[in-house]
Amino acid sequence: MFDVLTEHFDEFASGFWVTTRLVAASFVIALVLGTVVAALRVAPSRWAQRLGGLYVEVFRNLPLLVLLFISFAGLRRAGVGIGPWTAGIASLGIYTSAYVAEALRSGVSAVSRGQREAALSLGFTPLQTLREVVLPQAFRTVIPPLGSIAIAMIKNSAIVGASLLALPDLLKQARVVNSNTFQTTESFFWAAVGYMLLTLTATVVFRTLESRYAVRR
Amino acid sequence: MKTHHRRLWLSMLAVLALALGAAACGGDDEEEPAGGGTTTATDQGSAQAEEFPAGSTMAKLQERGVIRIGVKYDVPPFGFENPRSGEVEGFDVDLGKAVAEKLGVRAELVEAISDNRIPFIQDGTVDLVLSTMTINAERAEQIGFTDPYFIAKGRILVPKDSDIAGIEDLAGRRVCTALGSTYEETLKREAPDADLRLVDAYSECLELLQNGAVDAISTDDVILTGMIIQDDSLKLVGDELTTEPYGGGFKKDDTQFAEFLNGVLEEYKSDGRWQRSYDRWLGRYTGEQQSPPDQTLDEVLQASQ
Amino acid sequence: MGYLFSADNWEWLWTENNARYLLEGFLINLEIAAIAMVLALAFGLALALLSLSALTPVRLAAKGWVDVFRNLPLIFLILYLALSLPESIKQGWQENAPGFLPEALRGQLVLAGILGLVLYNSAVIAEIMRAGILSLDRGQREAATALGLSYRDQMRHVILPQGLRRMVPATVSQLITLNKDTTLVSIIAIQEAVRSGRILTQTAGNPFVGGGDVQAPILQVMIFVGLLFVVVNYALSRVSRRLEVREARRSAVRPGVSVGGGAGDEALRAGAT
Repeated sequence: MFDVLTEHFDEFASGFWVTTRLVAASFVIALVLGTVVAALRVAPSRWAQRLGGLYVEVFRNLPLLVLLFISFAGLRRAGVGIGPWTAGIASLGIYTSAYVAEALRSGVSAVSRGQREAALSLGFTPLQTLREVVLPQAFRTVIPPLGSIAIAMIKNSAIVGASLLALPDLLKQARVVNSNTFQTTESFFWAAVGYMLLTLTATVVFRTLESRYAVRR
Repeated sequence: MKTHHRRLWLSMLAVLALALGAAACGGDDEEEPAGGGTTTATDQGSAQAEEFPAGSTMAKLQERGVIRIGVKYDVPPFGFENPRSGEVEGFDVDLGKAVAEKLGVRAELVEAISDNRIPFIQDGTVDLVLSTMTINAERAEQIGFTDPYFIAKGRILVPKDSDIAGIEDLAGRRVCTALGSTYEETLKREAPDADLRLVDAYSECLELLQNGAVDAISTDDVILTGMIIQDDSLKLVGDELTTEPYGGGFKKDDTQFAEFLNGVLEEYKSDGRWQRSYDRWLGRYTGEQQSPPDQTLDEVLQASQ
Repeated sequence: MGYLFSADNWEWLWTENNARYLLEGFLINLEIAAIAMVLALAFGLALALLSLSALTPVRLAAKGWVDVFRNLPLIFLILYLALSLPESIKQGWQENAPGFLPEALRGQLVLAGILGLVLYNSAVIAEIMRAGILSLDRGQREAATALGLSYRDQMRHVILPQGLRRMVPATVSQLITLNKDTTLVSIIAIQEAVRSGRILTQTAGNPFVGGGDVQAPILQVMIFVGLLFVVVNYALSRVSRRLEVREARRSAVRPGVSVGGGAGDEALRAGAT
């Protein structure tokens, strides 16, 4: 069991590192895009709300694997020279951003009306209210679900590696080690450990954030 | 139901109905595609079925009435599935059918991708693998091999306007090959500075080359030829990287079965069926000639040391 | 842009039986989802009950199991099972698969796919159910005890019916995720929509493999496949929302505050719990 790890440590480590980079970059994109879309959804403009709504519905109901094909093979055939890393990060990021947007939107609507009305009566414009009053509070409420979304994204990153983007992520490396050693259970076991390390780290990070910024009722 | 909801449901139903309608109208009265799946059964009328010693694999297969053969479904012209008819055909398939015929059993074809070929033999999912599998010492420790039934040469496939002319030019370029194939090892050894992209199946490599995501594909020349058949904007370059003797794979240490299979292979080579199969699947497209290989398994393993 | 909308690139859609081929593949996805869902619900309920057991080792084992399977990527499970399931099981399925199942679902690796889906989703559902049961007001349990109901009767007549009803919207959400996850079995060569799409792009327009004259570009094919999923999943999500509203009305709970909380729902839908 252990010699599979020690003899192929490089493969596992590089796979782990690829997955980490993929996940980190995608999460940043998901947060940024998710915030933009959430803002659209709560904006006073009708078409902005519809646009945001469309974005969310499409990307929450579309399988990630299909999105990967569209964003990589599809776009390349259409002449767009997108590389596998870009396509992978963009796809995972956009896919996850729809969930982030909805979580933020729920968080925003959880911020009591009174807050919004108070801000407006104090002379804040709607945009300022959003930026200074509502969003910061909403962020705090949504830390736990964002943590769950992050963990889901870590798991979804394995799909990116298994698709034809051919990124050498942790799962791919487990299969490479397996094809070299023919020891399936051992190879996959160590990859599982790797994934759990990542999800555990995410859990710890978000729990810490949660306790630090806990919503005081 | 609110009017707005009702309209939503109706419009979705309409979309689905349109889609189904388009599909139904678009089709001829063609037979429904077999739908694929991972197995295809072909019927082999049992000719003169030989008798085999009790307890041998051959006898067991005869008793079962079917031999399961792992073949490629996406590597013309060795093993590929015609998705409309559901037929799996190719050079490997022809040989597999010959084995089944000799046993007087039905041949059931199963798809074997590169990294599950050996596990499938070891756990008995298939009885025999004929899927462009190269004989080498490492694999010979896990499974048994027949004598080589085909010698392929490792080459490199690139677009016609590429400047890659050989393995030396692969440094820093993106090269695709299948996970678990011998080329993974070969490329790591011979072109360590190449950016290796590993995928599940060669059809993915072809997609990547065609859309420019990789610069080259490296594997056996006949697999590459199959790709040229599909897309003639590609060309073969490079000296023969390696010789790749293809062998049939089966459970390790089954010497009786090995003898039987090699016997079938001998007959196949000497009575002209090999040549006919070659001409049908390869000679026609490559314009080349080849005669059946005449090495034995041991000679091949020696040479690869 | 031109490439995206050009009529040439969409011609395949009404040529021969291309669209039908894809729709049949899509049907397989739906069937796999249905089968996996039923099994995951059954197994998930068992796991949930075990994880609420009074016996500590049982409870810990069940919770441990659920934690492990919730935290592993589904594709990881599927690939592992495909590579390591013993022959006897694969063979057994191959030979004994019920005849009413379509060809695509009688192959050897189908079990690996379905087993992977069930192992993963049952763990997620177990967690949903556990939360649903626990979310019930303590008062319910205490009242039931005060009325002299045994543990089993409590469960059967008071706790489970209410708790399980609470989790219906979350479960429908999980069904949507499951629907999307069925595309992962294309990686182990099961003939569903995505795989059919790939085969179509490779063979259409290629006379060597009998594909006719019209090419099917991968962008358009995948957009079509994607649309199939979006339409069906969107419909399911509307159902879920209606159920949520009805449940909220029934139990006088604010909509959006269902199992796990409003924002938590999104996490559920991301396939996270």
